[in-house]
Amino acid sequence: MRKSHPVRRAVLAGAATVSGIVLLLSLKPASDPGSASAAGGAAPPVAAQSPQGGRGAGVGTVTGDAASTRYGPVQVRLTVKGGKITGAEAVRAPEGGQSDRVTADAVPRLNQAAVAAGSADIDAVSGATYTSAGYKQSLQSALDKLEEAAGSAGQGGGQGEGTDGQGSGSGSQGTRTLTGAVAQTQYGPVQVRVTVSGGKITGAEAVQAPEGGQSDRVTADAVPRLNQAAIAAGSADIDAVSGATYTSAGYKQSLQSALDRAGG
Amino acid sequence: MTTTLAGGRAARRQTMRRIRPRRSPAVPLLLAVWAGAAGVLWLWWRNTPAISDDTGRILNAGRITGLLAGYLMALVVLQMARVPALERRVGSDRVARWHAMTGRYTLCLVLAHVFLIMWGYAAQAGKGLGDIVQQTVDSVNQLPDMGKAAIGTGLLLFIGLLSIGPVRRRIPYDAWYHVHLLTYAAVFLTFWHQLTTGNDFAVEPVARTVWYALYGTVTALVVWYRILTPLRLNLRHRMRVEAVIEETPGIVSVLIGGRRLHRMGAEAGQFFRWRFLAPGMRFSSHPYSLSAAPRPDMLRITVKAIGDHSARLRELEPGTRVWAEGPYGALTAQRRSRGKVLLVAGGVGITPMRALFETLPGASGDITLLYRANSTQDLALWDELARIADERGARLMYAVNSPDGERPDISPETLGRKIPDIDRHDVFLCGPPGFAQSVYEALRGAGVPARRIHHESFEM
Repeated sequence: MRKSHPVRRAVLAGAATVSGIVLLLSLKPASDPGSASAAGGAAPPVAAQSPQGGRGAGVGTVTGDAASTRYGPVQVRLTVKGGKITGAEAVRAPEGGQSDRVTADAVPRLNQAAVAAGSADIDAVSGATYTSAGYKQSLQSALDKLEEAAGSAGQGGGQGEGTDGQGSGSGSQGTRTLTGAVAQTQYGPVQVRVTVSGGKITGAEAVQAPEGGQSDRVTADAVPRLNQAAIAAGSADIDAVSGATYTSAGYKQSLQSALDRAGG
Repeated sequence: MTTTLAGGRAARRQTMRRIRPRRSPAVPLLLAVWAGAAGVLWLWWRNTPAISDDTGRILNAGRITGLLAGYLMALVVLQMARVPALERRVGSDRVARWHAMTGRYTLCLVLAHVFLIMWGYAAQAGKGLGDIVQQTVDSVNQLPDMGKAAIGTGLLLFIGLLSIGPVRRRIPYDAWYHVHLLTYAAVFLTFWHQLTTGNDFAVEPVARTVWYALYGTVTALVVWYRILTPLRLNLRHRMRVEAVIEETPGIVSVLIGGRRLHRMGAEAGQFFRWRFLAPGMRFSSHPYSLSAAPRPDMLRITVKAIGDHSARLRELEPGTRVWAEGPYGALTAQRRSRGKVLLVAGGVGITPMRALFETLPGASGDITLLYRANSTQDLALWDELARIADERGARLMYAVNSPDGERPDISPETLGRKIPDIDRHDVFLCGPPGFAQSVYEALRGAGVPARRIHHESFEM
């Protein structure tokens, strides 16, 4: 029956908890290389920086969304010239300890492969599976942005703004690609692009979807299913994917907006 | 009975052989709790590759507090599941204090978690701390299971507010108790958002399984020990009030009959939570110690009229059905080591001491009871105590106020004078908090080691 000191105990518990959490947080590496484009790790994705439009003769850069990997985020920036990829670099890549070596080894090879392939269909570097996967994901996102910028530039006369989603007639037999408005969700924006041919949806894809941490998995799982469902239904009346309530809602919203544009 | 109670070296050895002190499992349990907390932090560590900026730091601080709160929430419920290892080995009073302490701490973690996560989300969306309320509203509306979690958190906050000392003293015990039961609903409501929005559980199916196992185990223990065990106990033993006896003004004994009561395994020094199925008493259950060693056909409690419930006991009709839960409490013969024993009782704290006085193994002269009361009229059960002392060759002392109201002097010096070898005694102590505290200090001053002072206190 020692004398109890409730106030002292409360102060001690509070101080111990706060310092424990601060210690844990400070022990985590900050894989931020300090480059300008990487400021704000969880900030909304960097928009395509392509002032001249992707398909013009000018030179532009486009930065893909950061892809989280187990060892840290990967973010790819492409230099585009005359509609072709002339350069690729990683503005963010895993670092610290062993990761420094892996990054130093893998990233140059991935950059080369990206330029050579002109697409995200590149081989993973062995020994750098996670970094390669993140690289490919960010590269794909950069390419998507590039395409999107090209599409809207074609229609809107070089207003490099992809988010407003303008239908871009590709000119062949009533096949049109329509990008829906961006739907904001808790985990990030969702934007759907559909290919409509002969009044039917023949293709659906998400040009933007939540990413980072858990969202990467949810997106990887849910988006393909939502794409299929959209094609099958031919409308925005599709079921939500369980475990991805949010992304599904955003997807449907953006899909509806794309379809509205097709109708109008 | 071939051994005589009145001494002899052989007899003494034999009684001592029956004493097997058992260690309280408190230390291993606390180690397990810390290990679990370390596991939870490790889970976060594994799933967090890097933190690049302040937003990440805020969010991750929110995740850590959330994970810890989710873990401790299960333990807070577990502490009140009336698990025998906790109630009878660690002691109901100590577990109740753990529960209050863990509960307060967990509630603080929950509030920190809500604040940090909402701040982090707002920062992610490029907004400042000022938009945190709007962010909270949005998140509750949009995120899965967050509506439930918000209601649950509100309930927890309400329960926590009612449990703050000054507030709690102002509301009737029964009202407080029944509001407190809402904790189960609150924990259920807040459970789901941990799995659906928790980063670590989405990424790690193993973590999800562990979480289900943790909460599932706690639920099973609560259902088993708080519902099924009492149900079985009462269906088996069918207890009823036999008689109510007034011991002294304001103190009554209730005799409770039933079937094969020795099978309940109650020991002297333990208590049950009693519910008397009489009008107006049905909905409250109170802990009262057994004031005599349990007999196969009869239990006895002795109660001082302090509150509403204890005052009504004198009006109980014989034949009233009794619903009991127990036995609980760790202030039993198992606590003692192999030596002499001093029992110290203050007022109605005599009840468990009376039962121990009768049953503690010991040779003549080994057991001493010191009974403190306001006046000789208030020495309830005195005649019985004198008879037991006589039969066992035990020592019985009392300390009462002098006629002019002066308190008796219980100090290291007086204790040492009355009981010269007091430092070789195990002391069992039961009484009002102020009394217990002063006796504890006097005992320590007289050279009794702290680990040999056994005390039960239901003060938080």
